[in-house]
Amino acid sequence: MIVALDLGLVFAVMALGVYISFRILDFADLTVDGSFTTGAATAAALIVSGVSPWLATVASIGAGLVAGSITGLLHAKGGINPLLAGILTQIALYSINLRIMGRANVPLLRAQTIMSPLRDARLLGTPVSVLVFLGLAVIVAALLVWLLSTDMGLAMQATGDNESMIRSLGVNTDAMKIFGLALSNGLVALCGALIAQYQGFADIGMGIGLIVAGLASVIIGQAIFGQRTVLIAASAVVVGSVVYRVVIQIALMVGLNPNDMKLISAVLVVVALLLPKWDVVRRYRNSRQERLDKLTEPFDEPEPVAIGKEAHR
Amino acid sequence: MSHPKLELTNITKVFYPHTVNERIALKSVSLTLREGDFVTIIGSNGAGKSTLLNVISGAHRSEAGILRVDGADVTRLADHQRARYISRVFQDPMAGTSPHMTIEQNLSMALSRGRRRGLRRGVSAAKRSRFREELAALELGLEDRLGVRVGMLSGGQRQALSLLMATFSEPEILLLDEHTAALDPQRAALVTRLTGEAVARHGLTALMVTHNMEQALQLGNRLIMMHEGEIIFEIDAGAKERATVPDLLAEFGKVRGATEALSDRTLLG
Repeated sequence: MIVALDLGLVFAVMALGVYISFRILDFADLTVDGSFTTGAATAAALIVSGVSPWLATVASIGAGLVAGSITGLLHAKGGINPLLAGILTQIALYSINLRIMGRANVPLLRAQTIMSPLRDARLLGTPVSVLVFLGLAVIVAALLVWLLSTDMGLAMQATGDNESMIRSLGVNTDAMKIFGLALSNGLVALCGALIAQYQGFADIGMGIGLIVAGLASVIIGQAIFGQRTVLIAASAVVVGSVVYRVVIQIALMVGLNPNDMKLISAVLVVVALLLPKWDVVRRYRNSRQERLDKLTEPFDEPEPVAIGKEAHR
Repeated sequence: MSHPKLELTNITKVFYPHTVNERIALKSVSLTLREGDFVTIIGSNGAGKSTLLNVISGAHRSEAGILRVDGADVTRLADHQRARYISRVFQDPMAGTSPHMTIEQNLSMALSRGRRRGLRRGVSAAKRSRFREELAALELGLEDRLGVRVGMLSGGQRQALSLLMATFSEPEILLLDEHTAALDPQRAALVTRLTGEAVARHGLTALMVTHNMEQALQLGNRLIMMHEGEIIFEIDAGAKERATVPDLLAEFGKVRGATEALSDRTLLG
């Protein structure tokens, strides 16, 4: 079960990437399945050829940034529909990932990786590794929350919220989308590099269906905590990622086999998407929302008294 | 120097050019606004009023003609590049604000209109106190609700906020596109009053499209009437104060009479 916490926290990095594209930019980006493997492949190939594992991990972020920008360019400059742009990049990346690795699977078991200190001390899957990965997830989430609170971050949020409005305020929304998708896939690729080093290999199929896990984390987390502020939303994504891995772990423990996991992931996302629409749940959430509003702000609209006269002049 | 604030020279806009649906929305329109001019534009549906604003803001590209702001040719700039000079309030109260972001975040984004957006804090304490002051002037109680999401506000409140966002960063040109048309009469009157105040306070040069002739006479120092892509009638600063709604209706009547006679003839011919 502790391994599930480890994985949940490492995958939270990927889920935060998906949060950027899916929630901030309102762009369902399927590049993720490919760019995750690209990150893993880049790190694995570099580590095997003797590059420092830290450098290899940083390089994988770079590879993800490029992958995301390509999807961004296809959409923003080429006018290709978001889903199609993501699928095109994802499929192209399959071939590129094979080129990077040279074969379908690169084992890292005997190589020195950034996980080696933890692995050698037999600390993976213990409270110590959970703390380390928690630290990692918190740092990435905090950086993201900070970025989104800057002038540029506000413009990025508005790009997904009301594009024509923020364009009229002078923001190049095409550039903003390309940047956001690059950042998103940079995080996804970083996560791929970390997972490859955690499990001890990179595999061409490791990213398949990953977007569903990312969406599940975002949707489950925000179904629980809501998304009133970016801070709450980002924290919810991290928690959602852990919840998702724990649910998967429980499913395995009750006897389902790993081949059933994609089905379970899909069902989980459907449930998390439909649940908030049920009347009972919605009524509960609304009443909670009202209480919150009462606590925070007065909500009366004062009548503009002087106006009536002017209108009848 | 004393360049005109806004100068349109022979602006032509054609929709669906070279197709059977080709429609000339603006026919070689020329218009000059001096600093501080506030021009209201009236005209029937399809007269080209909104197209004119869209061409000025850069949302549409014109097929011909030159557009200058303060003497600088901006014809080739994209809409987001023109935002440095031009700000705009849309007809739809939902269009001018970002619903899932807070009042202070929206104001902060508007304050950075046309500037480079870096990694400084979007909403700082200094900005917050300025926002509170500006919002207090609206007398809607919004100054105590800086952290509320804009989607929670009523249409009138959102439009008043949009107006504040468009004006308080003091643009060279303010474009108002029937910005009170979607509001009930009381809110429309409020936003009309706020518009007059904001334009006067910041000394803005403005263009306002409206269907409401009373409003067209109440605001601004010049008035133009458009019909089928052309400016057919103009009232200048002095004459506008004396003009009345019946005067405008009479002008409309002339145009309508002319076109009806024409279409009858075409039908009979």
